[in-house]
Amino acid sequence: PVEGAGDANCVDEILKEMTQSWPPPLTAIHTPCKTEPSKFPFPTKDSHPFPS
Amino acid sequence: TIKLSSKAEMPDYVAKYSPLVSLDQRQGYKDDFNAEYDEYRQLHARVESITRHFTQLDAQCRKLAPGSKEYQKVQEQVVKEYKKMKQHNPNYHEEKLRCEYLHNKLAHIKRLIADFDQRRAQGWC
Repeated sequence: PVEGAGDANCVDEILKEMTQSWPPPLTAIHTPCKTEPSKFPFPTKDSHPFPS
Repeated sequence: TIKLSSKAEMPDYVAKYSPLVSLDQRQGYKDDFNAEYDEYRQLHARVESITRHFTQLDAQCRKLAPGSKEYQKVQEQVVKEYKKMKQHNPNYHEEKLRCEYLHNKLAHIKRLIADFDQRRAQGWC
């Protein structure tokens, strides 16, 4: 929070506070996964169960 | 009250959500995720749009020569917009913190579900 206003210093403070990088939003959980999920090709980010 | 060095300062959700072992548990985690997801997305969108707005003003400032009339104008606009933002969103700071907390919590739950799904896909459980 920036108190007072008007001088250049204050503008710098405001911009510093208000332009901090903001990550993209998390996506929802899509996979239904109620029955027989082992056949479904899950899009896994980190690793793949089979060597390609 | 943030102690970064202390291991004891673990977020509450880390203790609450341990690695998954059953499909019933998975459904419970997913329900918890969905219960807070809408609030998270609303807060996220609000912070994102405000951040984008000030980032644009910041970019404008950087393009102008300090001391010039245009520069001064944009600087005044920054202060004006900031005051306006504070007026419309008096809890902006708290909302941003809440959103960051939810982001980390929901990411944690999502990761546990993804890990579980992967283990199942590989036939480990």
